[in-house]
Amino acid sequence: MSDPADFLAQLSGVLAARAASAKDRVVAIRAGHGRHITGLVWQDGVVVASEQALPRNEEFELVAPGGAVVTAKAAGRDASTNVAILKTAESVRAPALTAAEAQAGAIALAAGADGAGGASMRLGIVNLAGGEWHSSRGGLIDRRIILDIRLAHREEGGPVFDAAGGCLGASTFGPRGQVIVIPFATIARVVPQLVKDGRVARGWLGVALQAVAVPDALRESADQPSGLMVMSVVENGPAAQAGIVAGDIILSVDGTSVHRFRKIASHFGSDSIGRKAELRLIRGGAVIAVQATIAERQAA
Amino acid sequence: MSNVAGNLVFARRLRVAIHADDPQRRAMLGKVVSEAGHAVVGLEDAADIVLADGSCPPGETRNVVALGITDDRLRGALPHEAGISQIDAAIRAVAAGLIVRAPAAHERGFGAMRESDRQALLTPREAEVLGALAEGMTNKAIARRLDISLHTVKFHVESLFRKLGARTRTEAVAKASERRRNETIVL
Repeated sequence: MSDPADFLAQLSGVLAARAASAKDRVVAIRAGHGRHITGLVWQDGVVVASEQALPRNEEFELVAPGGAVVTAKAAGRDASTNVAILKTAESVRAPALTAAEAQAGAIALAAGADGAGGASMRLGIVNLAGGEWHSSRGGLIDRRIILDIRLAHREEGGPVFDAAGGCLGASTFGPRGQVIVIPFATIARVVPQLVKDGRVARGWLGVALQAVAVPDALRESADQPSGLMVMSVVENGPAAQAGIVAGDIILSVDGTSVHRFRKIASHFGSDSIGRKAELRLIRGGAVIAVQATIAERQAA
Repeated sequence: MSNVAGNLVFARRLRVAIHADDPQRRAMLGKVVSEAGHAVVGLEDAADIVLADGSCPPGETRNVVALGITDDRLRGALPHEAGISQIDAAIRAVAAGLIVRAPAAHERGFGAMRESDRQALLTPREAEVLGALAEGMTNKAIARRLDISLHTVKFHVESLFRKLGARTRTEAVAKASERRRNETIVL
């Protein structure tokens, strides 16, 4: 029978080896006042950071693996998925990451940059691994992954690994200090668009909407209990051109009920641009149909 | 004994001067301050706290609680959409010599889209009544404007209170504006 002490030493040795290999994938992104956040070396010269944590600068100083200081430019941000990228002035390389799927209860290792070219590590388990969800900014996140790990602010944005060394994604803070993971699949989907255009294209109608209850008298003809009331219309935007006015209550878009907003958010992806959308809405006590051409959303 | 305890008022009544560029916001903040049990005084009067909305009075040397202004020198800085309880707490804290800050958006964390509570959705009519409440209109004036009976207005106001979880008209307006901020979708 093997000695339990040996087993512990082995476990410890494996974790330390993981830390050593994680070191090459993290950079410290200097954020001023001696503080930093963590960047993940995604591909040669491209560093992924947590959008919400990245200061709105054009240029950054990074501490690369080993301690060399390199400059980098902010090259794209997508608040809807919390992914931002930096392009480094000099080559910063890391071995390719292998994607891994999160499983509740499985061991997770979160790496951060120590600010001097090394990595800091956190050990815990995956607290929850669920399906896709929509962020408050309207982005689609491929998996809901919550970690049972504490994280320092300087470690936000670093890679999270499973026991086999596969990458679950990048760490970030959710509501109430909860540590969540932006999944590998989400980053892999967004980064090429950011590298190419600096942003993620989204469909746009040019309206601000708020959920309202459909008045009782119209419940039957509307055939749903709630809709989205148009609060304001952007001048000359697609909705304005289609004749949509404040006070209209949108019931459905291309036959998809707006009863739940999440479904509607996913209706306005980059592939929606240029498409005609059929809107069913309540105006002046009657249900009518209006066609609008979805345009591309301007940078926020 | 219980009488003595009841008379021990720890919450001091403070003199609050209000500076706001927008008259509607000024009126709303005035109501918030008096409902919180403080005295609203003029900007030129002796005041414990200056509540500034949007901009700060130039050269103000008294303790300022500001809404929607980011300036490290301010003793109190709250977001534009701060609620009644936050404004009251900030006024008392700054008067007691503390510094007050609300966490920045990114410190609130990356969260999921919130679905409005279906039971609490307002009808378009209730939204109209709410708009009139925000302007400080009386029930009678609302009835005239919307061409409905006083009884119906009261009915809508009751329903608004219930859906928004508010006890006063000011609270209803504040809660609705907070909700609007959290739940407005831009497409």
